[in-house]
Amino acid sequence: MTITAETGPDTRAAAPLGRLLAAEVRWVFRRPRTLVTLGLFALIPVLIAIGVVVADRDGGGGLIGAVAGNGLVLPIAALTVALALLLPLAVAMAAADAIAGEAANGTLRGLLLAPVSRLRLVGVKAFGVLVVAAAAALAIAVVGVLAGMIVVGSADGGMVTLSGTTLGLGAGLARVALVTVWVVGQLAAVGAVALAVSSLTEHPLVVLASVLGGLIAFGVLSAIPALDWLQRWLLTSGWSAGADALRYPITLDAMGSSTLRALCYTAIGIGFTLWRMQRRDA
Amino acid sequence: MAVGTAGRLWARIGTGVAIAGAVGLGLVAMPAGAGAAPELPPVSPEDLVTSVAQANPGPLNGTVELDNALGLPAIPGAPELANGTKEARVWSDGAGKGRVALPSDQGEKTLVSDGTTAWSYDSTDRTATKKAVTPGEHRPDAGAADPTRSAADAIERLRTTSTVSVDGTAEVAGRPAYELVLAPKPTERTLLREVRIAVDSEKRIPLRLTVLATGSADPAFEVGFTDITFGPQDPALFTFTPPPGTTVKDAPQGGDHGGRPAGAEPTVVGDGWDTVVIGKRPAQEQAPQGGPDLSQLGTPVSGSWGSGRLVTTAVASAILTDDGRVAAGAVPEQVLTEALSK
Repeated sequence: MTITAETGPDTRAAAPLGRLLAAEVRWVFRRPRTLVTLGLFALIPVLIAIGVVVADRDGGGGLIGAVAGNGLVLPIAALTVALALLLPLAVAMAAADAIAGEAANGTLRGLLLAPVSRLRLVGVKAFGVLVVAAAAALAIAVVGVLAGMIVVGSADGGMVTLSGTTLGLGAGLARVALVTVWVVGQLAAVGAVALAVSSLTEHPLVVLASVLGGLIAFGVLSAIPALDWLQRWLLTSGWSAGADALRYPITLDAMGSSTLRALCYTAIGIGFTLWRMQRRDA
Repeated sequence: MAVGTAGRLWARIGTGVAIAGAVGLGLVAMPAGAGAAPELPPVSPEDLVTSVAQANPGPLNGTVELDNALGLPAIPGAPELANGTKEARVWSDGAGKGRVALPSDQGEKTLVSDGTTAWSYDSTDRTATKKAVTPGEHRPDAGAADPTRSAADAIERLRTTSTVSVDGTAEVAGRPAYELVLAPKPTERTLLREVRIAVDSEKRIPLRLTVLATGSADPAFEVGFTDITFGPQDPALFTFTPPPGTTVKDAPQGGDHGGRPAGAEPTVVGDGWDTVVIGKRPAQEQAPQGGPDLSQLGTPVSGSWGSGRLVTTAVASAILTDDGRVAAGAVPEQVLTEALSK
């Protein structure tokens, strides 16, 4: 104990951060539900691809309609579709397991008593949620590119933008990557807020319900014309910006402002989680 | 206890981060407020109008926002005329080539003119329409969505029947501008109160056009740049090659836009603000496919000129007569019926 007193409480036997993070990621991916979710996400682009090919080319307008004969649009369309509800659901699930789930199992007490500062604990848990978000988005993007190129086929090996120009394969993939990164940013915001709810409760279901309920409420609010001024506050109002990556020249305004908004939501969620976890006993 | 102190510190930092996030969200959500009116050297209305007519802004690109509060009734087949805000991105090389993009949530309409050929591409049905343009002709037909063109036209048409004045300054798209105001002379019988045009103080091009109707403080119609940059543009923007998988069509010759049937040139009654345009409307069977259906609009009216249906909006009225004529103008109903009786 004398040694501990000399080196200070925060540094005593502190596990290296890298090992903590690796342990959390292993822990997250050991849950069968995480793997099943990722597998289902990989199916989304495949289903859309089959649907587009079967429906021939008058499959209607919209982003899905733009996929016909233009496979590189598929990952972006699939990400946009999944961002509406499915991806936030996966992230909320991970966040629910991260704190509320551990509390329900009784394993949170051990973590809180372990010689790990609460700050690190929140950081590690947030990292776990972010990894799930990135893995889910990546699964859709990668399978989307493959399914798009193989099942749908691409226009001259490139991507036809909504503006009617043709991009090369490299530029097309770069745009897919941009949308993927942007989606992960939006999901980080959802995850941070979900983590904040998770730190308040010991029932994982509460987290799922509040995140999905919140998303639906945001959707309802944005559909009311009299509440136009509220739009700029809602996280979901920028979620159609992914289509901007398909324009020529590309316009980043909407993706930029929604990323800023997501950053603010992330700060609120993480800040609240930090504050709450300092006080939490179990 | 050391841990307790650190814990409290982190709790406080957490609170701080959350509050910073909330404040940041407020800043992001804050609408970009109108800046203070810039200080500019005074200019006489005549000089301003002359300089607008001679302005040559050179290459530019920008974003145009169109705010429509005209209150047009919902016309089946033409939802784009309903109230609302629309956005367009424009590029111009300053010498007749241009590009306009009309983005929607999941698609885009693109108009490109390379000086000899005008293309219009619609991403929703992937059709490209080709039309030859004479080099003298202006950039692609973007209709009212071009503040520079529509404002210059308005000045040209309304000068003689208006009181022209310069009413202070404004900041439009981050640039200082003069507010040129055209108000109808008292003899004009019109529904409009005034037309305000914000003219860039340096380049002298109209940046914003605002139409105000009598009895309303809010603009009935506003089109203006929200963002504008002057400077050379990428020449690739002004060429168009139909992408693979596109249906390419030739635009119908001789007709602009709505494909107006030959021999139906509209007649103009009056001038200035109380101009009434009388045209023939295409008979139902020869109406352009997918064109607006006008037969159920408005309220029935009749008079010595015949009978028809009256459609009124905040800034204009129109009478669709039963014998196939259309009279429209920014005027009250009485002026329309007088024009129809002539």
